[in-house]
Amino acid sequence: MDNTKLLEFQSVQDWMKGLHEHWGGDPVNDDPDRLPTLAEFCAFANVDPDTAVKECKRIDKAGDVRISVKGRRKYSELIDEFQAKSPGSKLQRAKRGNTVRSFLIHNGILLQAGAQMHRVTDREDEEE
Amino acid sequence: MQYKEVVGRRRSIRFFEPDRPVEREKIQVMLEAARLASCAVNAHWLKAIVVHRDKIPEEKLEKLKTPVLNVQLDLAPVHIYFFVDLGVVNRMQGTRLKQLVDVGALPPTHGWSHRFVDELVYPQILKPLTEDAAYPVAAAADAGMAVCQALLAGVDEGLGVGLNTPNPALAKEVFEVPEDWFSLWVLLVGYPAESWDAGGQRPRPDFEEQYFEGSYGKPFKRDPAVVERLKAENMIQRQAVPNDPERRAEIKKLAERLGLPI
Repeated sequence: MDNTKLLEFQSVQDWMKGLHEHWGGDPVNDDPDRLPTLAEFCAFANVDPDTAVKECKRIDKAGDVRISVKGRRKYSELIDEFQAKSPGSKLQRAKRGNTVRSFLIHNGILLQAGAQMHRVTDREDEEE
Repeated sequence: MQYKEVVGRRRSIRFFEPDRPVEREKIQVMLEAARLASCAVNAHWLKAIVVHRDKIPEEKLEKLKTPVLNVQLDLAPVHIYFFVDLGVVNRMQGTRLKQLVDVGALPPTHGWSHRFVDELVYPQILKPLTEDAAYPVAAAADAGMAVCQALLAGVDEGLGVGLNTPNPALAKEVFEVPEDWFSLWVLLVGYPAESWDAGGQRPRPDFEEQYFEGSYGKPFKRDPAVVERLKAENMIQRQAVPNDPERRAEIKKLAERLGLPI
């Protein structure tokens, strides 16, 4: 899926809007890997962006939007798997996983995968 | 550091230096401060379990992580789990209160005696209180004051601190605490990876919206001269503003360094 097609999805537009509002700049061009990484994830998970967001949410009996614990767990695990199978160094893999996490976060899905590079050894490995 | 500056400098730190250890003596200072807190009926409901992130078994640490408490548990080298011991009042049966009578803190001038505690305070007030639905709330509020002292002592020791809520059932299970304890908070401790200012003091509701004088609805008038004095004494500091470019840049840099999403 190319960038133009991807940007037709509401959830991707919301992601770009959220990034711009929070960090400023031009989210599409400031990090040219951003949209292709999401496209790769969608292919990996066999899902389109709007559906991924939808599956992480649910509507309760009162009609309020809630986070679906089951859905979020599913996508959290899928992102971990996507990250683990990604090419490159640990830092590069973490960046790819975090790109997808950012997509869900800016769509209102609170998601924490922990600090990917918090151990001294993580950073030492990267420097080698 | 002066007390007012400690209050003014405190921030809920969310980015800790993950590899910088915290001196054990500083943790003790925090616990000593908690122990000296004002406490109703000298009961001391607060209990604490100090956990060193790198010493707790990995599976226990993973179990304690929640969707909102994952990054911080990874980053903070020390986690202090606070519990409220609801059984203490009935175990002590007024003995800690009588200690206050003995040392003159609760003197006869104010109507206190051992007999008063034994015949009235414990059986007629404290024991029934422990059976009241509001008891855990009162105990938690009291314990919260002690936690606050620990937290501020940590800031005074040059540490970064952040209070968080663990999953209460899992915290009880992981630490195998007595049945009558309940989980209150986890205080994360370490050296801040973010700047001390951390973007500035957090937005607060207007002073006169919160505090009243004499009766409800009559605001306690805020004297600007006092505000200026507190600014000079570093209690009131620069307030954080939305979309501060410096703060954004700081968070981006931390996210990159620590492997966090933006």
